[in-house]
Amino acid sequence: MLSCLVYLRNSSPLPLIWYVVLHSSLMGVDGHVSQGPWFASVLTLKTSAPLRAEPKKKKKVDPRREQMVRERLKKKLKKLERVPPELIPIEDFTTPAKYMDETRVRGAPQLPFEESERRALLLKEWSRYKQTQHRAEMEAVGLAVEAQREALEELRLESEELYQAALRPDPLLFPFNHQGPSYTPPKAQYEAPEGKYNNITKVYTQ
Amino acid sequence: MAAPCSRMASRPICQFITNVRRTGLKHTGVRQISLGSACRAATQTRSKTESVASPWKLYGAVCLQRLPVISQERNPIEDQFAELMHQMELERSLLSDHEQRLLEDSERMTRKQADNYDSDEEEADYGGQETITAQDQEDTWEQKLKHFQPALRDRDVGGTPLGSVERCLGDSLVLLVQQTVGKETIWLLPQAQWEAGETLRQTAERGLSSLPEADFKATFLGNTPCGVYRYKFPKEVRTERCVGAKVFFFKAFLSAGSASQKEPFLSAGSASQNEPFLWVKKTELQGYLKPPYLEKVDRFILNL
Repeated sequence: MLSCLVYLRNSSPLPLIWYVVLHSSLMGVDGHVSQGPWFASVLTLKTSAPLRAEPKKKKKVDPRREQMVRERLKKKLKKLERVPPELIPIEDFTTPAKYMDETRVRGAPQLPFEESERRALLLKEWSRYKQTQHRAEMEAVGLAVEAQREALEELRLESEELYQAALRPDPLLFPFNHQGPSYTPPKAQYEAPEGKYNNITKVYTQ
Repeated sequence: MAAPCSRMASRPICQFITNVRRTGLKHTGVRQISLGSACRAATQTRSKTESVASPWKLYGAVCLQRLPVISQERNPIEDQFAELMHQMELERSLLSDHEQRLLEDSERMTRKQADNYDSDEEEADYGGQETITAQDQEDTWEQKLKHFQPALRDRDVGGTPLGSVERCLGDSLVLLVQQTVGKETIWLLPQAQWEAGETLRQTAERGLSSLPEADFKATFLGNTPCGVYRYKFPKEVRTERCVGAKVFFFKAFLSAGSASQKEPFLSAGSASQNEPFLWVKKTELQGYLKPPYLEKVDRFILNL
């Protein structure tokens, strides 16, 4: 009887209930232990061993649950990302409130008739002056372009190779920097005084 | 079309695939043939030009300009208009913080000097501090400005020599050199003869760097020539091979760090034979360049 029980224990993963049922059928209907005190200890041994093993049915459910949790979190993240970024305000377009103050308004002067006439006539003369200046500039640029075109024509007649070399763009030309004219010429060996400033511009990040 | 046909025969996999392949190969075959013919034509023309040498000698010249350093003097109309603009802007503007402060200070002064002046009331508002009025600040600023002496705008009063770069700071100047061309020495833009194996721009750079006693740092504006001057040699010098010369001009700007701060030649205002080079304005070119040369050069020198 004992040997067959041992065989059953070692072979396949049978659940706990089986062992108990076998014993009760062997023992009798009333169920009291008749073979002695060592039988009870054997019973307890058999009940405790399968309890320690990991239940294998739950393995499929747990990864699925974890996956579901991760997917939910990802969906939430996507919903948050879909929100368009806040637009950076252009500070130049909003007049600050302190300039809407009425106390700042300068008294508008009453111009005499001669003054307003003089201004109108001066503006017209200025437009005429600027027009002639513009025409002269356009003519000068046109002449320069024409001169260049003639030069390229003559060069092409000379040799195709030099012509192609002339047409190639110069990569070293840009970026081209040049200090424009100032009101007074630069002083030789001038040391500018040291100064400091606090930069209070607001920097926006998206 | 022999090559694509043979390929067609060797791949009878499927009717559809062979059809596709046929059309593809046909196109590539046609393209290859057309490319071949174009290449052959190009090589033929190239060989033709190389075999016939042109009868013109090539020169590369540089038009080196020193851009203006200071702004020009205003015309009377420009002066008037600038004043008018300033006045109109002032009338249409609001009071600034500084001006408001000035007004407040002046009001406070008048209140102080009035008979019913309650100093305790005033000082309670301002916490009893000694305030610096805006007027005082303005005075200190003006004093500081007086301490600074800017360089003079018009230095030409003393009559700087024509060889100096510092003359006429308000205009753009062009470099002229004296070179022997043929039998005579004439004033012209620095040039050098073209040698085989270099581009014309390199010729112009060589012409600039080979000037005696002058190392100018110039930025050339691109590889394209801006003008050309073509002239025929006098009949004695003319041969079958060289009928004349073509001078191609390239524009360049004098860069700031050039070593032209040396002592200029101490000669009189008018150019003498001792000076190697001149810096002249566009209006002064007439006195130095020959008329046909000037006609071509005048076009691309912009006085803007």
